[in-house]
Parts: sequence; structure tokens; C-alpha cells
Amino acid sequence: MATEGLAPPIAVTRTRPAWLESFAGQLLALLASFGIALLAGSLLIVAYGENPIDVYTSIFDASLGSADGIGYVLAIATPLIFAALAVSVCFKGGLFNIGVEGQYLVAMITATVAELNLDFLPGPLLVPAVLIAAMIGGMIWAAVPGILKVRTGAHEVVTTIMMNGIAISLVGWALNGPLHQNDAPEGAFVDLRTNVFPAKGLAGDLGAMFGVTPGAHLSWLLFLAIVAAIVVWFLIRRTRLGYEARAVGSSPGSARAGGVSIGATQLRLFLISGALAGLIGMQLILADRGYLPLNYVVGLGFTGILVAFLGQNNPIGIVFAAIVWAILSRGEVALQVSSQVPREFIIVLQGLLILTVVITYQIAKRRLAARQLQRAGLAGELEDSDAPDESAGPRGPEGSGSETFEPADEKRA
Amino acid sequence: MPFTDIAVAIQISFTYFTIIYLTGLGGLFSERSGIVNIGLEGLMIIGTVTGAFGARFFTDTVGLGTVWGPILGLLFGALCGAIFASVHAVATITFRVDHIVSGVVINLVAIGLARFLSYAFFNGQSTQSDPGGPHLARLDVPGLSSLPGGLDRAFERLSPMVVVAALMVIPVWYSLYRTRWGLRLRSCGENPEATRSLGVSVPRYRYQGVLLSGAFAGLSGAFLAAEVIGSWREGQTLGLGFIALAALIISNWNPIRLMFFAWLFGFAVAIPLRLQDAPVISLLPEQFIRMIPYVVTIVAIAGFVGRVRPPAAAGRAYEGGGGT
Amino acid sequence: MTIGAGAGGNGSPPLVVLDHITKRFPGVLANDEVDLELRAGEVHALIGENGAGKSTLMRVLYGMYPADGGRILVRGQEIKIGSPRDAIANGIGMVHQHFVLVDPFTVTENIILGEEGGELLDIDAAQQRIAELAESYAFRVDPGAVVEELSVGEEQRVEILKALYRGVEILILDEPTAVLTPSETKDLFGNLRKLREAGRTIVFISHKLDEVMEIADRITVLRRGKVVGETRPAETSKAKLAEMMVGRPVLFRLEKPTVQIGEPVLRVQDLTGEGKLNGVSFEVHAGEILGVAGVEGNGQRELAESLIGLRTPASGTIELQGAAIAGGAVFDIRNAGVGYIPEDRHEQGLVLNMSLWENAVLGRQDDVEFSGALGVLFIKKIKELAARLVRTFDIRTRSVDVAVSTLSGGNQQKLILARELETDPKLLIAAQPTRGLDVGAIEFVWKQILDQKAAGRGVLLISAELDEIYALSDRIVTLYEGKITGEFPPDAPPEQIGIGMLGRAPEEAA
Repeated sequence: MATEGLAPPIAVTRTRPAWLESFAGQLLALLASFGIALLAGSLLIVAYGENPIDVYTSIFDASLGSADGIGYVLAIATPLIFAALAVSVCFKGGLFNIGVEGQYLVAMITATVAELNLDFLPGPLLVPAVLIAAMIGGMIWAAVPGILKVRTGAHEVVTTIMMNGIAISLVGWALNGPLHQNDAPEGAFVDLRTNVFPAKGLAGDLGAMFGVTPGAHLSWLLFLAIVAAIVVWFLIRRTRLGYEARAVGSSPGSARAGGVSIGATQLRLFLISGALAGLIGMQLILADRGYLPLNYVVGLGFTGILVAFLGQNNPIGIVFAAIVWAILSRGEVALQVSSQVPREFIIVLQGLLILTVVITYQIAKRRLAARQLQRAGLAGELEDSDAPDESAGPRGPEGSGSETFEPADEKRA
Repeated sequence: MPFTDIAVAIQISFTYFTIIYLTGLGGLFSERSGIVNIGLEGLMIIGTVTGAFGARFFTDTVGLGTVWGPILGLLFGALCGAIFASVHAVATITFRVDHIVSGVVINLVAIGLARFLSYAFFNGQSTQSDPGGPHLARLDVPGLSSLPGGLDRAFERLSPMVVVAALMVIPVWYSLYRTRWGLRLRSCGENPEATRSLGVSVPRYRYQGVLLSGAFAGLSGAFLAAEVIGSWREGQTLGLGFIALAALIISNWNPIRLMFFAWLFGFAVAIPLRLQDAPVISLLPEQFIRMIPYVVTIVAIAGFVGRVRPPAAAGRAYEGGGGT
Repeated sequence: MTIGAGAGGNGSPPLVVLDHITKRFPGVLANDEVDLELRAGEVHALIGENGAGKSTLMRVLYGMYPADGGRILVRGQEIKIGSPRDAIANGIGMVHQHFVLVDPFTVTENIILGEEGGELLDIDAAQQRIAELAESYAFRVDPGAVVEELSVGEEQRVEILKALYRGVEILILDEPTAVLTPSETKDLFGNLRKLREAGRTIVFISHKLDEVMEIADRITVLRRGKVVGETRPAETSKAKLAEMMVGRPVLFRLEKPTVQIGEPVLRVQDLTGEGKLNGVSFEVHAGEILGVAGVEGNGQRELAESLIGLRTPASGTIELQGAAIAGGAVFDIRNAGVGYIPEDRHEQGLVLNMSLWENAVLGRQDDVEFSGALGVLFIKKIKELAARLVRTFDIRTRSVDVAVSTLSGGNQQKLILARELETDPKLLIAAQPTRGLDVGAIEFVWKQILDQKAAGRGVLLISAELDEIYALSDRIVTLYEGKITGEFPPDAPPEQIGIGMLGRAPEEAA
């Protein structure tokens, strides 16, 4: 057009494609942070007078050393996958759904209601109905902070956490009131819980097929979780909604100027996230117990957040991260049995891992960006305006400085 | 005594005012310097477990008596809060991790760390400590504690920390608005590029802001565990850290306004504790009454949000330019 | 020591010497062994295109970047300037193109920040000192005013006072007149002359050759990081300077195609909103480029945003070929045939983290061509689109998969242009379309805009650069404080347009 002659064809890149480089970089960072965390953990172990190798080996044995162990690990990982996926979907759009915890509590209530009231349905229909009820419960609970965010701009971190608090009370009320069990024999002492669900409405045990003890409660919910991960991947990478969500999460002004409705996108993300969150509790009530107990598992939502960060908010990464987390959790049992180190050490190790991963991820991201920038500049087309784009934008009087300001002396007084 | 219930509720609200206000002040320093700190809950948690331990340790084991023992216990809680906050500081300031992400991690790690510390401090118990720990003597407010009609109960047997917390507004306000340090801290939160261009170290002031937030939140947690409840219990912070954050936002990051909203939310927390039989409220099932503080917070924040103006640069990673 | 007025420092020893300064960024050699001498009592202009390295050089002098090579001498002594604090200690101050002021603070608080003189603030004493300082250089400013409420010209004065308060002798101004009206520029030049009389040195970074010829004593020209010439106004001309800047004779005028002007494509009536727009009315016809001239801050951004749907005006009408669109959704307005080149390509144009091909389809991801049932994206087709845009607009990039953050400013702008023009909009809104671009890219963008006109489309050009307005417009209007203050033919002299930019209709001018 403006320059004489034809523009050169787009270079066939014989260099590594960007995604591979980023993948390799992230993998390296992950391994490095794993190493650092294990190292730091070793120091604590030594403080307890134990040998780190012994401790880590026993964790490994308990988790991956037997078919049973693997079964336990995968069963623990299943709800975590749902939780982390729920968090990551919102995160892609720049939203922090900390309310996953409350969403799965409410979902367990709606699922229970479905189980106990739709029991006239045959098994193959009952179970999907229950799952849908769970997802609806999660969606409703996520819709509240979602709508508040879109309408009033209320920060979702605070509202979702408040919703968590409300949900806890709600479950307590439901279990003490309308859903209180009425199928216990006279005078028998049982934990506070709902009625037992019909057998056809449960998630069948998968363990038998693989030689895993039924005590692990490994069920086909695992496959559902993996399918969910694939669906989420596809949603984020290959659909309009995923595209718009990423644009909104990354650059809301440009997304808006391009015609994307920020509010609609955000709301949709909350709903999808809520639906995924709803499935978290299914492992407990459909595979494990067969009813909703008062001493339900607490904290899966929050753990899901950690797993999401560990997995870099990437569906594939999340599946692996959930398994890693589950391995460590399973290790708690090993420690209890055979070591001086208290089981709480596992929590600290998990915390260390998260911190190191989050930090090394940042470092890796920046290195990668700098390298990409460098390569773009050196690709041989040094134009006049190839200098870092200093004057983009009219930020005159408001003064927020140029984008590529290198901090020469940021750390000096 | 017609007003006893509401008077006691007010008394309780002063206690929770103290907790929310102190934590909120911590958040104030951090956010004013430009670092969003939603890990206040986690910092409080660390304060609870270390404060409960510290109170016993300094009173009984070190033998400092029932005045200095609890005081050092509180300070110990504050110190541990500050140390734990340094993790958030390093992550967000040095490594430029997203502030919210770091805050969430802080909250979650704190829960686990608290268990771990409890195991170490309290003889292998990981979710609670023995009840009846030492605390400062309670005071009656002179004059107001002889009000008629049961109202006197509102001002009796208050912890001296309530007064300390209320008086905090003076040094806090003064340091923020009348000192060089405060000017520089605030400018870090409003426009770090401007601050840096004048040769002032942004990271340095931000570190100070975050460490202060840890100290205040830790102090608040220590107060809760040692002074109010008398022991450590897992989960005793009840989301108060987030309520404090909401109060901070609604009060437009102003230490004077924060006093009012901290008290208001403190009262909302007091309702399920004492006013279950009040008219209207008694119609609700017990669990629904417990939801009241959370609902109040949501309604408040949804209603007020449009009208507040956060420190302009809070939340943006500072690298001399744009954010993450 | 005071040097006589207007002496231009001829014969006096250099105050500051930059000796073989080199500075590299990833992939770019911004300064290549640059030599520069600054003398006391002179206004020294540093000119060059965008990306020539003038800002970078001064930032090295000001201690914001460490030099990769070379040395700095102040009064004959070699010194290390590691931070702005060092620079200020050596008497060197800088006012940036984008102001760095803390909005909610007062003028005084902004000036004393970092130099408070003690832990306890004594605001009154400081205000007094500042008032005296301002008066001595005839700066009009209220020390107690809150910066957020100041005009751009006033903010600039605060920035200059910040430097003077710290006793600087060398004041670097980076594109100071970019944000000023002609009369504010006059005021500024008056201040600069006073400073020069008092023996100060001013470094005046600019690409506005008229102003440089007016105020400078000496001129240094940079091109691609190297010094290509040093001269004085008396010994050169605008054309020669331009040629030095670019390396070839510069065409400032492109051929404007003659086109039949058609029906109004856009009709705006009494557009009002948010205090920034106060009853704007104008029309754009098919085959016409309407240039809206005006200094930033007079409602340009609000106008553009209202037209594309990012803002809802409080009152007034906007009609696109007869259909009312005021307050409509961005999506609908775009689909009705409006293209938008935003002022700020990072905030409203591109998603920097996403790849080139992802940005290429922004706004059109709903088209049946690019996505299908359930929202599935046809990535292959989108990449084909991107490849086509890259080819036709000569966007320099390795592939369509790179993140747009790695593209240069010119290429980024080309991408936005390519994307918007691809839909063949009836109306193109171009706001500051060549900001930050080098001459080659500017010519390209101008040609594209003229092509739109040739194709019978309507173009609304909003620009603060009079050169651009003149080069492209068929009609010119001026925007001042949210109102259209005058309409001019494309050959109207700049003085007249300047008056419109100041808010007075031509007849009212004295």
C-alpha cells in the first residue's frame, strides 16, 4: 500500500512456537518451585528430628505406592478439580470468585432436595437430575455477587466471602430443620444429617474395576471432572465467550470499545463458575456418604483456589495440580501413622508450594515477555518507531507515566 | 431493666468495634500505600494463635503478672502479624504478584499455619487452646457506668483495648496527614510514578504500609483470642477480617469515618450474640440471625460502592508504569 | 552567575556535557554515542521524530536510566547520575511529557513531596516560599489549589515549579507544548525567556518546528539515536530541520482526492454531557473529512466516546444516516457502520496480552464467518483474516501469533486501522490517529484516511496536530470547552484557527 514493492511474506518461523516456549518455561518454573518448597520443607522436618527422605518416601508410598493409594489420591483430587476449574473460569475474566465455598454448600442442599424428592425417577435419570440441581444451586449462589458486581460494582471478593458465611448458616439451618433426617430408628444415635439417598441416585464405585478398595470411594465423578476440564479448556480457548472473557480480563477498555458487553460477560462467567462449583460436593454426598452430613468437608472451595493457582489457571495444569495436592493430602495419613512430624506439616508444605509457584510464575512470565519483546525488535525490521512505544495514549495531565518505563533505581532510596 | 439487652449488645459492639477498627486501620496503611491487602483475615488468624500463646507465655511462664503479661501477649501477636505480612509484602512489592492473589494465598496459608503453630504451642492440640487464658482487667467507664434503666451495662467491664483502639485515631490521622512520612506514604498509593520521580522510594514505604497492616491485624486477632474469648479456637475470626475490609472501603479509606463504620458493623455482629430475642429478629430462625452481619456487609458495600474513591494506584503492580 | 539576556551562551563554557552517551533497550539502540553540550543562559532545542531518542537521552541525564556507555560532565567534573535525586543535586530538573502529579494533593504538597524539610509538615511556610518563588518568575499559580482541579497549563507550571523549588539550573522540558493552547504556549515562552535571563538553561524537546524556530538559541537534531546536526535558527529553516530529522525531503502534503460530497453521514446536535460536552453540533458528509481541531482536554475524548457508544450523552442527538444512535450499545453502533480509531490504542484499541490474530477479529467475533453455533470460533478463518490485514497494511511482524505488545507503536496503530477499515464503515472516527508514530507511519495512516474519503465514506478526524488537520480536512471546526467555536475552510490561516481553539469566534477576535 504505502511502501513500494510487496511486503515480505510472513516469515515461516523456524524458531520454537510461542506456546511451546511458554509451556516449557512454565514447566521449568513449576519444577523449580517444587524443588524449593520441598527443600524448605526438609528444613522443618529436620527440626523435628526426622529424615526428610524418609518422610517424603512415606508420603509417596501412601499415595502412589499402591493401587489403593492411587485410588484415594484420585478421589481426593476429584472435587478439587471442579473447585479449581470454577475459580479459573472467573479468573480468566479478571474476577475473583472466592465464593466457591459457599456455592458448593448451597449446591449440596439443592442436590439433596432433588435426591429426596425426585426418587421416583429411574437411576439413569435421577443422577443427572441431581447433578443439574447441584449446578443450579451453585449458579444461583454465584449469581448474587455476580449481579451485584455488574450492577453496583461491588467488589466480588468481599461479597462472595459474605455469601460463604451466609451459606454456612443456611446449611446448618437446613440440616436442623427441613432436611433433618427422619429415617433413623428410635433412640439410635446418629450424626446430624439428612436422610440417606436412594441407592440408584449415587455415584457408582469405580474402584472395583481397578483393584482399588471401595473405601477410597473412587467414582466416575473423576471422569466427569476430567471432561469438565476439557470443556473448560475448549470454552476458554475456542469459543466466543472465552475470547471475550479473556479480553475483558486483560483489557476491559479495549473489549468495550470492540463492542463486548463487560457486564454480560462477567455474569456469564459467574454462572459457569457457580455451576462448576456446584459439582464439588458431589464426591462427598454421592460417592462417599450417600447423604449430606453436618460434618461435611469444609474448605474444599478455598483449597480449590490454591489448586487453581498451582495449576496456573490452566485446565490441564489444574488436573495435575489437583493430583499433586491430593498426593500431599494423602501424605497426612502417612505422617500420622509413621512419623514424629505432625500432620499439620502437610499444610505448611502445601502453603510453601503455593507461594513458591506463584512467585516463580511471575518471574517466568516477565522473563518470557522480555525475551519476546527482544526477539520482535531484533527480527530485522528496525523501523523508526521500533523504540518502546513511549507515547501511546493521551495520558497527559493525569500523568500515569509511560508503559515501558524501566525502573532503573526502583530499589534505591 | 428494660434496656439491658440492648445495653449488653452495645457493650459487645464496642468489643467488636475494637477488632474491626484495628484491623481496618491496618488495611488503611497498606492500601493507602498502594498495596491491596485482602489477607487481613489471615493476618488476624496468626494474631489469634500467637496472641493466645503469648498471653499465657508472658503471664505464666515468664511470670510477668496480669498486667504486663497480657500486654506483651498482645504485642507478640502484633509482631507475628507483621512478620507474616512480610510474605505478602515480598510477594506483591518485590515480585509484583497480583495483590489479590497474594492476599488469598495469605488467608489460606494462615489457616494451615495456625494449626501448625497451635500444635507446637498448645501441646499438640491443633484446633484450640485451653480456655480461661489471662487477660487485662476490665474497666468500667466512669460516669457512664451508673446510667439507669440497664444502660449502664453498655459501659461496664470493657477491655482497656477498646479505649486504646478508639484513641488510635489520633496518632493515625496525625501521622497520615501531618507528617512527611504520611505524605510520602499516601503519594505512593496515589501516584507511585510521581513519588518515584521525586526520589522517594516507593517500595520502602509500601513495605512499611504492609508491615503495619500485619501489626494492626495481628494485634486485633490477639485481642480477640486473648482478651475477648480467652483462648484460641480455629475459625474464631468469623470473617471479621473481611468485614473490616468492607468497612474500610465504605469509609473511603478515612480513619475517622472508619470508626463509625467499624462500630456499625460491630453492632451487626453483636446482634446474633445478644439480640436474638429482640422484636422482629426473634422471628427468624437461629441460623438466619447469624447471617445478619454478613447480609449487612453485603448491603452496605453494594450500596456505597459507587461513592467511594480508592487510592488511585492501589492494586496496580508498580514497575514504573502499567500493571500486571 | 548571570549571563546576559539572549546571549545564547556563545563563548561561555559548557555547563553540562554529554559525552558519547549510549543507551540500549531490548532490541533497540536508543542512543548511539550522542554528544551534547548545554550552556548557561540558553534555550537548547532537542528535536527528532518519535523514537529518535531525545526523551531517552534526557532521561539518562536525569538519572532515570543508567547509560550503557559514555559519561556526563557537569561544570567540567565527571559525575555519576544514578537517580533523579542525583540529577537534582547536580542542578538538573525535568518536566515530563506526561505529568507526574498527585491529583488529590494540593500544589504545595506536590511541590514539597520528597523535599519536605522535616518530619512535621509546615504547610504554611512552604506555601509562602512557593508563592514567592512563583512570583519571581511571573508564574501564576495558587499554592493551595488541589491539582485535580487545575488546567493543563497550570499543572505544567506546578511541574516547573517543582524543579525550581529544588534549585535546578538546567530545566529539561519534554514536549511541553503538546498539551497547551496557543496562548498558554505564549505564556510559557514568556516564562522561559525570564528563566533564560536569570541564567538558567532550558532543554526544549519538541517535534514542533515552528516553536523551536521561535524560542531556541541552539538546536540539536537526533535521528535514530544519533546526532545528525547542530545549528541555530538563524542558520536553518523548518524544511531543513525536517529533512535532518527524517533523512530525506519530507512531504507534508499528500494529494487530496476530489470527491463529490454527498449526504450527511453523521449529524450531531446539541450533544451535552458530564460537563465536558456543552452542546456540540456538526455534520459529516459522505466523501468528506471533517477535522475537529483543538487542544486535548476540551471534550475530544468524550465526543469520540459518545459517538461510538462508550458514553451516553446527557442530552442531544446523534444520527447515523438518519438513524438515532445516541446512547446505543457499542456493538450496535459498530454494526451500523461506524469504525473507531481511539486516542489511546492501549486502553481502547488493543488487548495487549492477546495475539495479533485475536486482536484482528475484535469486534467481529460474532460474525458468522468467524464463529458458529455454541460460540465456537473458526480460528483458521480468523488467522486468514489476520494474515490478510498484515499483508495489505504492511504490518511488520514475524507471525500472526505474536502478542501485540511486541509490536511497535506504528504497527499497532496499523493493525487497528486495518481492522476498522476492513469492515468498510460508513463513518470512521479517527481520534489522534498518528500520535506517537514516525513519519513513515504517519504518511501511511494519512493515505488510508484519504482513501476512505475517495471511497465516498465519511471521516471525523479529531486531532490536536494542526499539520494533520490541514493535511486531511475538507472542512475544519474547532472544539473548545465542549463547544464548536468556529468553522473554517481548509486553507484558513493558523492564527484564525488558533482563535477558535481559544473559544472565541473569529469575528470576536480583537
